[in-house]
Order: sequence, then C-alpha cells, then structure tokens
Amino acid sequence: MQQVICEWKTVFLFAVIAISCAGCASKDDLSPVEAQRQAFEDLRSEIREVIDEPARESEALALVDALSEDFHTLREKISERRQRARELNADYDSTRADFESFFDRVDEEIKSNKRRVSEKQRALFAVTTPNERSAISKAHTKAMDAAIRSIQSI
Amino acid sequence: MLTALLISMLFGGGSTAVLGYIADAEDRVKIVMVKDERRREALGTLKAMKKRTNARSKLVRRSAKSLNKALAQDKANAADIDAIWDGYFAGIDQYDHDMLDLRYKLKEHINREDWHEIFPGPE
Repeated sequence: MQQVICEWKTVFLFAVIAISCAGCASKDDLSPVEAQRQAFEDLRSEIREVIDEPARESEALALVDALSEDFHTLREKISERRQRARELNADYDSTRADFESFFDRVDEEIKSNKRRVSEKQRALFAVTTPNERSAISKAHTKAMDAAIRSIQSI
Repeated sequence: MLTALLISMLFGGGSTAVLGYIADAEDRVKIVMVKDERRREALGTLKAMKKRTNARSKLVRRSAKSLNKALAQDKANAADIDAIWDGYFAGIDQYDHDMLDLRYKLKEHINREDWHEIFPGPE
C-alpha cells in the first residue's frame, strides 16, 4: 500500500493543482471531452512504446480502455444526478423520502464507482514494472487530469 | 489509484453538491416574489444555503490538504488516510441533509406558483 502511495504521489499532487483551477477555461481548442479522449489515446501510445511484452501490453491497454469507459460513465451519471436533483426540487410536492432515496442511490453509485476505478488503477499498477510506471507516469497524469477537467466541465 | 480516489472525493461524495444550485436562486426570487416579509425570509434562507455550500467547499479543500499531507509522509499510514476519507464523507452526508432542511425551510416562504417560476426544473 505504502509503495503504491509513493508511486502515485506525483499524480495526486497534479490532481490537487487541477482542483485549484476548477472552473478555469481550457487554454487549447479541444473540448474537455475531446481533450480527455486525446489524453487517453496518448497514454495508450505511451504504453505501446514502453511495454515490450505483448501480453502485458494488451492487458495494460485493456485496463486503460476500461478506465476511460468508467470515466465516461461517471460523467454521464453526474449529469443524470444533477438533472434528477433539479426535477425533485422543481416538484413542490417532493417529499423528504424522495430526496433521501435519491441520496441513498447516489451514495451507492459513488461506492461502486470508487471501487471499480480503484481496482483498475491497482491492476494497472500490478501489470507494469517500476520503470514502466515511471515512463508512463506523465501520460497517466495527463489522462487523469483530463478526466477531472472533463467532469468539472459538466 | 490516488487520483481515482480524489475524483471520487470531488465528484462522487455529494456529487458536487447537487442541491447547491438552489442557493443561486436569489435573483429569481427578487424577480418573482413581491417585496414583503416572505421574500425577506426566503432570501435569508438562500443566504444560509450559500454559506453552507461555501463551508462544504472548504471541507473539500481541507480534506485534500490533509490527504496531501498524509501522503507526503515517509510512512504514509493507510488507516490515517481512511480516517480522512471517512471524515470527508461524513461531512458531505451532513451537508446534504442540512441543505435538505434549508430547502424545506425555503419552501415555507414560497407558495406553489412562485416556486414553479423560481425553479422551473430541468429543460
């Protein structure tokens, strides 16, 4: 666990910087979703270049694909949550139970999503060597940052 | 993995304050409601919601800072990190329920017709 923490500390720090920039406009012309797609494609290219063994390379690429899909799903879920919250609030007759039920469902989604994404990140960590992780670290950080910005742009 | 956790923290817990937008209805309230005691009470409640949402934002920043500090230590302790997450999620849960209380308090001052004008719902 401790080793995992140290390996990904840089990624975390980068993400903290991203928080402080929340709401800032993107400096390039790509939309946040396009930027996310591009950043994940760059990460795939980096993996193809860095990992020599075909089996591990395929596994790492499959994990990145799945991770990218998870972030897209998360984005859609958050958008749905906002829509549902507005529907509930707009209804003058919504009960506390309606809201509580909504909060419970969101809570379950959060736990499920957190578990799913964390498992894939751990698997990606396990399938790569320390040197490979170091080599793809920058592209990985950029992909995660793009995912954060894409979600923030909803 | 840590970034995944951070994303969960930012966008999972409380799902970026889903009821926070209610606090931004100040201008709509001023347009829709006549200037009376009810409107004054409604505006006061919206102000309280904004204050509560600001406190939530501080919680997010404080939690991120605590996590960062914990992770920066040579012997990062998983239990300490879990405790920070637990505290964070408990705070978010409290926020949701506080905002719900304030939403119903707001409703006490706004009649059905005005409510529909102020909060028309999603497009």
